[in-house]
Amino acid sequence: MTGSQTHPNTLDVMQLNIALPNGHRLLRDVSLSLRPGEVRVLVGESGAGKSMIGKAVLGILPQNLKVTEGEILLEGQHLNAMTPWTRRKTVAQSAALIPQDPLTALNPARRIGPQITDPLVRIHGWSRTKARETALALLDRVHIRDPKRVMESYPHELSGGMRQRVLIAAAFAPSPRLIVADEPTTALDVTVQKQILRLIRELQQETATAVLFVTHDMGVVAKVSQQVTVLFAGKVMEDAPTERIFTDPRHPYTRALIAATPSYADLDRPFSPVPQALIAELQDDIVRDDARHQGGAR
Amino acid sequence: MADITAAAPRRRARRLNLRLWLPLLWLGTVALAALFAPLVAPHDPLMQDLMLERLPPSFMAGSEPGYWLGTDSLGRDVLSRMIHGARIALFVSVIAAATTCLFGSALGLVAGFFGGWWDRVISRLVDIWMAFPPVLFAVLLVAVMGTGLTSVIAAIALIDWTRFARVIRAETMVQARMDYVDSARIGGARRLATLISEILPNVLPSIIALLMLEMGIAVIVEAILSFVNLSISSDDPTWGSMIAEGRNAIHFAWWVLLFPLIALFLTVLSFSTLGEGLKQRFDPVLQ
Repeated sequence: MTGSQTHPNTLDVMQLNIALPNGHRLLRDVSLSLRPGEVRVLVGESGAGKSMIGKAVLGILPQNLKVTEGEILLEGQHLNAMTPWTRRKTVAQSAALIPQDPLTALNPARRIGPQITDPLVRIHGWSRTKARETALALLDRVHIRDPKRVMESYPHELSGGMRQRVLIAAAFAPSPRLIVADEPTTALDVTVQKQILRLIRELQQETATAVLFVTHDMGVVAKVSQQVTVLFAGKVMEDAPTERIFTDPRHPYTRALIAATPSYADLDRPFSPVPQALIAELQDDIVRDDARHQGGAR
Repeated sequence: MADITAAAPRRRARRLNLRLWLPLLWLGTVALAALFAPLVAPHDPLMQDLMLERLPPSFMAGSEPGYWLGTDSLGRDVLSRMIHGARIALFVSVIAAATTCLFGSALGLVAGFFGGWWDRVISRLVDIWMAFPPVLFAVLLVAVMGTGLTSVIAAIALIDWTRFARVIRAETMVQARMDYVDSARIGGARRLATLISEILPNVLPSIIALLMLEMGIAVIVEAILSFVNLSISSDDPTWGSMIAEGRNAIHFAWWVLLFPLIALFLTVLSFSTLGEGLKQRFDPVLQ
């Protein structure tokens, strides 16, 4: 893009490697970028490391995982080069998370209101009143009736779908440039999933927020994204515009993943999981890759 | 899209919670008796009268009016001594348990939340500490520091902080893994602020339950120490010293032993039951 010098990407992840203390790599040279207002889906089976990318960006990796190589740039700023507290503030100012499990993502011992408004006051320096008004407006926007009462409620008084709406409102409240949506529909039942998905899409378009959307569901990919990154075992298999992924998938793993997605239009089609032979082949590739990587590092 | 309404706040029928109110009733009585001991006690707890020694309680034959729970071998009124004993018992239990709780909970929170070296150092300290036999430890401490209430309180705090540290550490570790902690961190909360405003409210019900348990334990420890004459001077009325004294006359004046024992038993039971009751009452998830 020609304008990329003056308007940096919202997010650049470059050659990111994450490893366990024993040196075993969980992410292998992952690179991806998000332009402002773009939705990129990270898709892959469980254990492929898709959530880990979002966690690395937000700085909430489990303590035993370390970024061993690579750079993360949030709006052109190198996160890795920052002190922990600067990094924390930078992330809080321009990024937010829609978490996977709305049951544990809200503090059960605190009322909903302060949980939404705390970061607004703390990081963005808003007044309590302004933060409260924004929160009320957003709760209304995510179709919660009687936002005032919900602000006074404890999380256990709300249903799972409502909690996820609250979390969406909380994520959009500080007008972040980047939202990481970490499988936001997985813990919900199917009827609610669709509403939540539509809601995220609507708010994303209204606010032109870039969204890094993590999912294992190819059906979701088609609904929300412009760009797709297909991951397998912490390695990028294919990176392409969404349209092309479905019309012209180039990597055999992408093709297998699409073929494995059940379709309501064609219920008679037999279920076709990703072939074992393909998985074995890809794993061999990765073992070779790791050996080369270790040779290079030593 | 259909609007969604919050479920109406569950309005539970205000059933009388006996687990909460029975212990409160007993402890309230004891506390009032302790506060107003000089007014409530029918006699001077120290006044000896050898003409009135070992009087039985008023419901038995041979009792004197005014001595409702009888007298001990020196003719001192058992009820008055119990009422004055409640002062010492409650004073020790409140001060000692609060000290223990503050100290132990703080260490438990830090170990559970910060992990790493904090956890290693505090956990090893707890392990080493718990290897000492507690009663021996207490006796030793009091022997070194001299008898008196301060020593008793210090002994309780120094021995029992591990109980808080262990339990609160474990609870904190569970809470620290919850997603809401990550959410707070993404929202730019500092580590210590996260610990205090996010995790502490979730651990608080357990701290309260433990605090109540500890108050009961403090009453027992004080009784044990005065039983072996390591608390305050043996003239001063404490439940422990009354039990020790009553032991000698158990065959012909059982009331000297029994009534303070019942008071001790009820108080300790009330504290631990109250702890559980409060935990349920204040835990928003359990409600």
